[in-house]
Amino acid sequence: MRFQSQKVAYWFFATCMLLLSLQIVYGFIMGFARIGFDGLHDFIPFNTARATHTNLLVVWLLTGFMGAAYYIIPEESDRELYSVKLAYIQLLSWVVVGVIAIIGFHFNWWEGRKFLEIPRPLDYLVVVNVLTFLFNIAMTIWEAKKRSTTQLVLFFGLLCAALLYLPGMIYFDNQTLDSYFRWWVVHLWVEGVWELIMGGILAFLLIKLTGVDREVIEKWLYVVVGLTFLSGILGTGHHYYWIGTPKYWLMVGGIFSALEPLAFLGMAIWALNMYRKKGKNHPNKIALYWTLGSAMMSFIGAGFLGFAHTWPAVNQWTHGTLITAMHGHLAFWGAYAMLVLAVISYAMPNLTGRKLFTGMSGYLAFWASNIGMLGMTGALAVAGITQVYLERKLGMDFLVVQKEIIFHFIGMLLAATLFTVGITYFIVDFIRHGLPSNEAVGKNAGDLE
Amino acid sequence: MLSKSQARAFFLGGTFLFSAIFVFLTVDTLRQNDSRTNSQNMTADVLKGKEIWEKNNCMGCHTLLGEGAYYAPDLTKVVERRGATWIDVFLDDPEAMFPGERKMIKYGFNKEEKGQIIAFLDWVGKIDANGWPPKPNIPIDSIATPQVPQAKSNAVVMTQPEKFSQLCVACHAVGGKGGNVGPALDHVGSKFDSDYLNRWLSDPQAIKPGTNMPKLPLTDPERKDIVTYLSALK
Repeated sequence: MRFQSQKVAYWFFATCMLLLSLQIVYGFIMGFARIGFDGLHDFIPFNTARATHTNLLVVWLLTGFMGAAYYIIPEESDRELYSVKLAYIQLLSWVVVGVIAIIGFHFNWWEGRKFLEIPRPLDYLVVVNVLTFLFNIAMTIWEAKKRSTTQLVLFFGLLCAALLYLPGMIYFDNQTLDSYFRWWVVHLWVEGVWELIMGGILAFLLIKLTGVDREVIEKWLYVVVGLTFLSGILGTGHHYYWIGTPKYWLMVGGIFSALEPLAFLGMAIWALNMYRKKGKNHPNKIALYWTLGSAMMSFIGAGFLGFAHTWPAVNQWTHGTLITAMHGHLAFWGAYAMLVLAVISYAMPNLTGRKLFTGMSGYLAFWASNIGMLGMTGALAVAGITQVYLERKLGMDFLVVQKEIIFHFIGMLLAATLFTVGITYFIVDFIRHGLPSNEAVGKNAGDLE
Repeated sequence: MLSKSQARAFFLGGTFLFSAIFVFLTVDTLRQNDSRTNSQNMTADVLKGKEIWEKNNCMGCHTLLGEGAYYAPDLTKVVERRGATWIDVFLDDPEAMFPGERKMIKYGFNKEEKGQIIAFLDWVGKIDANGWPPKPNIPIDSIATPQVPQAKSNAVVMTQPEKFSQLCVACHAVGGKGGNVGPALDHVGSKFDSDYLNRWLSDPQAIKPGTNMPKLPLTDPERKDIVTYLSALK
């Protein structure tokens, strides 16, 4: 790391690792419930496990984005963070809010709106927290002598993510409107501003890891995020087919969803091309694996698998089935989880001064978790297609069909075990790196800028 | 080749243009919302029902308008499919209706709350959702070999009592129609006499402890009708 204050990022990353582990535990609870082992029903019923699983995902990814921002912004701005103290206070309060929310879920305290289950009083705390975070980042950029596109795109992404949290806090009596504005948060985050954040982080990593000229990388960053917004904003329409909104959403949503893979394809081509043009080899190969892996997996999971079921004529059958869960797993993994793991892989040796990227365990972590996740996605895909045919096309009863697909959930649990092995390797490596050290300040391992 | 400032113009211009279109379409969607969702029918009960739905995170298992968690059935058309009476009984003890199956929490809603949930689901079922969910479009006969014709049942001849078609068919089949949680009732009249059937319906547990058959809330005349009907199934 270049600056003392970048150390803050370490504690965000450590929180990430903790929350990710917990998310996996809740995933297993749900997987077992699906094959009939629901012994925890009285303590952690499925809806609790589900809310905890998805909210932990959102929280650990946001924690990762924040950590990434605290790491990247000082380096891009060429100065220390505006306030280290504020960053620690922000992390602490963020964790407290998260813990209260998750405990609350176990006592039937929530808002009951998919992905936005966090109860209203805590929503306000989240807003205050995120504003604190943005203030700190904004002040750092404001007082910097240097302006870079990467820095600004990242900040713009984080700012929009905060603003778009607000429509989710308006209460609507009408279920259709409730749903309509809930997607403003969920879709416009995941398929809009989060991609902006992703683009910013990716640009930073590519600059560092490939050594390609900043001007070239940043020009393409604009093109990629431009494509994202061009398709993603009206792509929200694919959530509006069947919830009671006008029929033109079928056309609008269909067309723009079909364009959405372009943004991800652009991202993948961009990353691979920059890698091809690289000046010389960066020693941190593992960070490069995660970076390029994220760009490619996001195309497969978010781009291609999303494309596979958002066309209205297809979606009328797949809507509300396990097909969505299939797409969701690989999309989040490829686009955001892998990206956060890429930042962590890149930052850890720099933060601690220990170059653990030469060992075998980093590769094992990468391959086991990726193959595991592909296996889970495959199992969900087969289960989902079976469900669509038996339940939707033939009209068989929901519960009868669920019994037919138990086998695929056993497969999913096996793949999840492999995934967990990979993540365990990653976390063990994380722990082996130790704490950030003062000796590491001012040095970066093999950067090519 | 594209310059950096052109790339930036593409990003900013595209974002602005498509955001503007999105806002415009949103305004139009809001304008049409009342008629598409029959918002005039959103009674106090419907609103209360929505609150109960959210307070208990029902979407954490069920889906509604296809949105939710895929662990339990979609409830968009549940009032049309099962009927209010059935849902009312089901909510008292969900596990009793589907013994040994996927579990649902026993919330202990009172009569009023159950009515509110049903009112909410009934309203949701009538939203104009562009024809979703679609009707199954592959006839099951086209892929399965035709079943051996069943012994003729007189079930078709005799009309089912209202309560029977509201409650019993969820688990039991008559003449090939109905659920398969409990045994088919095609010949139940030749197996049991009406006195036994009456006692069975009054309190299943007293006759066969541990049975999965729930004690249904039937008035005396309703029970009598069902017993008469069952006795005729020979």
